[in-house]
Amino acid sequence: MEHSKQTQYTSNEKTDSGDSGSVLNGHFDGMVKRPAGGTGRAAAPQPPGAESGSHRPAASVMESWREERTRSVEDNEMSLPSLAAAYTTILRGLGEDPQRQGLLKTPWRAATAMQFFTKGYQEKIIDVLNDAIFDEDHDEMVIVKDIDMFSMCEHHLVPIFGRVHIGYLPNKRVLGLSKLARIVEIYSRRLQVQERLTKQIAVAITEALQPTGVGVVIEATHMCMVMRGVQKMNSKTVTSTMLGVFREDPKTRDEFLTLIRS
Amino acid sequence: MEYHLASEMNGVVAKYPNMCIESKHDVLCGEEKDSKDAADKQSHIEKSYTTILSELGEDANREGLLRTPLRAAKAMQFLTKGYKETTQDILNDAIFDENHEEMVIVKDIDLFSLCEHHLVPFFGKAHIAYLPNKKVVGLSKLARIVEIYCRRLQVQERLTKQIASAISEALEPAGVAVVIEAVHLCMVMRGVQKTNTSTVTSVMLGSFHDDPKIKKEFFGLTMRK
Repeated sequence: MEHSKQTQYTSNEKTDSGDSGSVLNGHFDGMVKRPAGGTGRAAAPQPPGAESGSHRPAASVMESWREERTRSVEDNEMSLPSLAAAYTTILRGLGEDPQRQGLLKTPWRAATAMQFFTKGYQEKIIDVLNDAIFDEDHDEMVIVKDIDMFSMCEHHLVPIFGRVHIGYLPNKRVLGLSKLARIVEIYSRRLQVQERLTKQIAVAITEALQPTGVGVVIEATHMCMVMRGVQKMNSKTVTSTMLGVFREDPKTRDEFLTLIRS
Repeated sequence: MEYHLASEMNGVVAKYPNMCIESKHDVLCGEEKDSKDAADKQSHIEKSYTTILSELGEDANREGLLRTPLRAAKAMQFLTKGYKETTQDILNDAIFDENHEEMVIVKDIDLFSLCEHHLVPFFGKAHIAYLPNKKVVGLSKLARIVEIYCRRLQVQERLTKQIASAISEALEPAGVAVVIEAVHLCMVMRGVQKTNTSTVTSVMLGSFHDDPKIKKEFFGLTMRK
């Protein structure tokens, strides 16, 4: 069996310096062989063209885990006037009258709303997680499912919403359950691509806990496909990331997928 | 002439003279005929989105965001294309003389609109009923009327009323009823963050307003789950 990948994975636990970045790069650059019986997987596209192939996107996932914040609360206040001005221009460009009663404060509301939808840029995983990692002698699967997720499509700036299901096999360390949902919040409240979001959540949990395995499945509706473009109302996009024993062992994966369906 | 008819229905619409259905269209239609003008507007919107991306703390030059201002501008223009459309354009050919006076209902019309307060989508279903007065309309035209009014910056109450008014002006029926049930992402994704709420608005004109039996029949036929 693929022991080499197993040891690659566990070597993460020992070093969390720059080396681990390239090891996890190995997982993500699409060259990973699948286990023989791997047909039971949920539809998990290999990271699409924009993501795979080059190491830079995966590297920036790694860097961003450590240096999350590109924005602060003070930045928000300072950007508000120019955001509001931009929205006023947009309203005019669409042929509306920004002076009519319903639209008078819309630029400010829309600017604040957009800042809220991208508040993940203000938050760091470290801040959210530090206190809630506990030593427990538990090595059975832990699943938190049906976590509501709201994100913004980075291509059209239109909402994405759906559910996230997370499972992990602890390796002597467990995480406060709501922290899994908070990790989802930090990464989903950004301009996102669903594939990258799934991967970032899985990587964050891996790095925080060094568990034996992590599985993340996201099922979401993309308004950019529903409200415009091809306009298919009932379509859903499902992406998944399986790391560690979830990837290696089909039975573990099947257990996870069955439990999230029930 | 439009307002004369509308106030004949029952005065509900007459209270909202600014909900002008046709005249605002004509002004906007006149403006947008110039395609160079349209291209200018699109590039202004595009530049605004570039500003928005950098003010939000993103890197507007990374690969995934390179063409986002253009895509977002086009998306926003698509989502507000209703400003350029008039009911006259789509309805004129599809009104037929039929000796039918029973209720006609078109229900579960998917609708997608933008909240004018937060510029965030709201979506749901519209149910439309009317009692013909010798004139019936092509069924898809009811859905097209919904499209015209929902592809704008809207408030759900106004949207419902505009759809009802448009139908009553075009057909002069004995009654019109419009019910919209929608989920507002501005309430679900932000603010109070209640995921399971939906908002229902309705407008009843003519016999639907005056006659409780007709109203009951309408609800019985549309609200069945």
